[in-house]
Amino acid sequence: MKRILALVLALAMLATLGITSAFAADDGFVDGKFTETRHITVRLFQRGDNVPETSPFADYIRNGMLEKYNVEVEFAVGGRWTEPEDLGNLLAAQSAPDICYTYSYSTILNYADMGGIIDLAPYIEEYKGLLPNLFSLLGEENVYWDKDPETGKLWALETRLVNNARINTFIRKDWLDKLGMALPTTKAEFEACLIAFRDNAELLLGEDANKMVPYSTSQDIGWRNNILTVSFVPDDITDEELYIRGFDDRQQFLPGAKEAMRLLNKWYNEGLVWKDFALYGSGDTTEDDNLKAGFVGAFQHNYDYPYRNGDDSISANLKRNVGEDAEFVAVDCFENDAGVYRKYLGSTVDRKVCFPSTNDEILASLLYLDFISSPDTILALQTGTEGINHERAENGAYIMKAVDSADPNYQASLNNIDFTMTCNGQYLGEYTEVSFAYGYSPVDPAVVQNAYVVAMNGGRVPAHFILPAIEAEVGIGTTLSDERDSFLNKAVTAPVEEFDAVYDAGVENYMAIGGQAIMDERAEKIQAATGYVFEK
Amino acid sequence: MSQVTQPSLSRETHRPKTNWKTYLKRYWTLYLLLALPIAFFVVFRYIPMAYILMAFKKNNIIQPPWFVPWAKNNGFEWFIKAFKDKLFLRSLENTIKLNLLDLVCGFPAPILMALVLNELAFKRFKRFTQTVLYLPHFLSWIIISSLALRLLADNDGLINILYKQMSGNNDAVIPFLSNPDWWVGTYIGLGIWKEAGWGTIIYLAALTSISPELYEAAAVDGAGRFRRIWHVTLPGLRPTIVVLLIMRLGYILGSEFDRPLALSNKLVTDVSTVISIYVYQKGINGGGQFSLTTAVGLFQSVVGVLFLFGANFLAKRFGERGIM
Repeated sequence: MKRILALVLALAMLATLGITSAFAADDGFVDGKFTETRHITVRLFQRGDNVPETSPFADYIRNGMLEKYNVEVEFAVGGRWTEPEDLGNLLAAQSAPDICYTYSYSTILNYADMGGIIDLAPYIEEYKGLLPNLFSLLGEENVYWDKDPETGKLWALETRLVNNARINTFIRKDWLDKLGMALPTTKAEFEACLIAFRDNAELLLGEDANKMVPYSTSQDIGWRNNILTVSFVPDDITDEELYIRGFDDRQQFLPGAKEAMRLLNKWYNEGLVWKDFALYGSGDTTEDDNLKAGFVGAFQHNYDYPYRNGDDSISANLKRNVGEDAEFVAVDCFENDAGVYRKYLGSTVDRKVCFPSTNDEILASLLYLDFISSPDTILALQTGTEGINHERAENGAYIMKAVDSADPNYQASLNNIDFTMTCNGQYLGEYTEVSFAYGYSPVDPAVVQNAYVVAMNGGRVPAHFILPAIEAEVGIGTTLSDERDSFLNKAVTAPVEEFDAVYDAGVENYMAIGGQAIMDERAEKIQAATGYVFEK
Repeated sequence: MSQVTQPSLSRETHRPKTNWKTYLKRYWTLYLLLALPIAFFVVFRYIPMAYILMAFKKNNIIQPPWFVPWAKNNGFEWFIKAFKDKLFLRSLENTIKLNLLDLVCGFPAPILMALVLNELAFKRFKRFTQTVLYLPHFLSWIIISSLALRLLADNDGLINILYKQMSGNNDAVIPFLSNPDWWVGTYIGLGIWKEAGWGTIIYLAALTSISPELYEAAAVDGAGRFRRIWHVTLPGLRPTIVVLLIMRLGYILGSEFDRPLALSNKLVTDVSTVISIYVYQKGINGGGQFSLTTAVGLFQSVVGVLFLFGANFLAKRFGERGIM
């Protein structure tokens, strides 16, 4: 029996030992091109059921890389909405594509600790001269953003966020017109609008009056009420404190956040908030359907949310279902203690690109990043073909056209960011500014332009500190965000008199399962680096 | 020769002559048939078991566990961590709670249903009812969860819309899915609705093996319908019930995955997070804590096996055959 067991164990060991990654030398690289065709795999997000790897954009990249560097590119397609989980599983199975991108740095860090990620620092130094486009797009700041000041390791490159507008408040202007009300400019006025929507449901919705939702939100309370939350944060909060309390990207653990949730709780209990929001998971379309059907008065979401997806956008559907004058417009009405319409904007970083340790074509992979970062490539991928994806205006602006989602020329992601791995946001050189508002056909460019201006108004970019990796953050991100969503949902839907108890218990639990450890370690490391002393 | 082809029940008399080689020689074709399923179990069930080692090693899924250094506390770091983790303790508690409730409410349901079906006089009606009762079994929990949302949601759910209209009070809702206590009821209720009908199959099969003469004899003795059920049908079902109960107890710490995952929402996570969900979140759903989750899985299996043996032991003490 023992002998059999030993044999089985030995066999299993041999089987897992089979594959070891070999380090490929670059002696086949002559005059900026490989002498023999190299092959790399590249991760590519997919949204909905389009087939991105057969689109003309994929062809553009494949042909370009083959022609320029003699590198064959194969796309490994994976869903956008579960990408950090999928990436984790791919890395665990050692079958991740040569070039991966993700929004979750903590996933990268977790696998880096296990030896599953390549340290890019030495390669970046060695090949810097071959990567002019990458460096000019990302800048030294983004390239070395995640470089550990103690160990010098660089597990990922932070790609460029060109447009860092984040979240807006939207309201049905046609409803306000009907009620003879002006666009709200303060919290109190906004609340008055919600109350007016609720009390005039019959007038606004007729026989659908019972479907009235004055203010809509989702189970992702932090994101979907971010402007509300931030308006309660003291304006003079320091960058250091923002960092220490800022592991949660929904800003739910900053001073004042509780009062914001208390207001939301009050609205909920007064019948101003969608009653069923907590029952639907992320990705569920029920809320979007309500928005499209015209039952919703106001909401907060990504700064361009109602205008995304062309003919299937909320805006376009609303016009079809309700009438030409129906429109969600962005408004600024959440003032903070200094009277500023504060918004915390994204910094210059976006997705993180890493190479798994199974990558044995590091130079070819870096050249891919350089190719994808060149202005010509980005322009071609973002604007597509003239006549199909865009028309040119007289001033040179690119006017994007709505493309049917079954058409291979359809861009499943805004500005095709799933393909432009290193760049998020319109990046058309001199034509960027004039083209921006035309990116959302058939939505009125003036409405889009307004949303952008509002989203940037009062914007503050939290500072970036170069610190050693925070150990307490490794692998706990999703647990903490689940816990946060869960207690915020409970607190907001609790009876008013129970709000304090539910909210406080939730925060206590969040801190106990890892939140406090992160804050403590961040405070400690920032003190070591800058001398800042954090007082709770 | 005749001794082997007609083996008697006394084992001792034959043991010296018939060892496994004799059987192998004689029935090798049958053993060959068995080889494939055995290979399946070895490859997909037993070899992966070597990776249980991960529960005692540092968290690393990239390297094979035998090359990874031992975890802290003599390798028990992850077990200690799990039992200090509030989330895990909550999941453990919820798993036990939901499984016990499922056992108490869900286990008798198919037995009662089988008894009722058995008493139906019209064969056609019985068949029809049976088929209708089986149907929910073929729906996945994902489909049932979206049905549940459409029917039971606080505001937009059909039942609450009707309830509001009948009561005339727009604020009167039954919080089937949003209140933790109600949610548990909904969870158990939907489980019974989905599986009870299917569960009757095995009992109905057992019922056919009860001799009709027993019923006739009972009837002659003046036993009415309920007496016959009590004294004939139920005792006839007893071995089946015991076997199923033992197997069920083996799952006391086991947890379904798709059912709580699909039915849960952010308001009821305090009661809906069970061990499988915990393992999913901490392990493959972004957490990447493979050693911790292996440790939890191992704990779950060990307790499951203990319960299985315990229940089997008790069953034998009470004079049943058990399963081992």
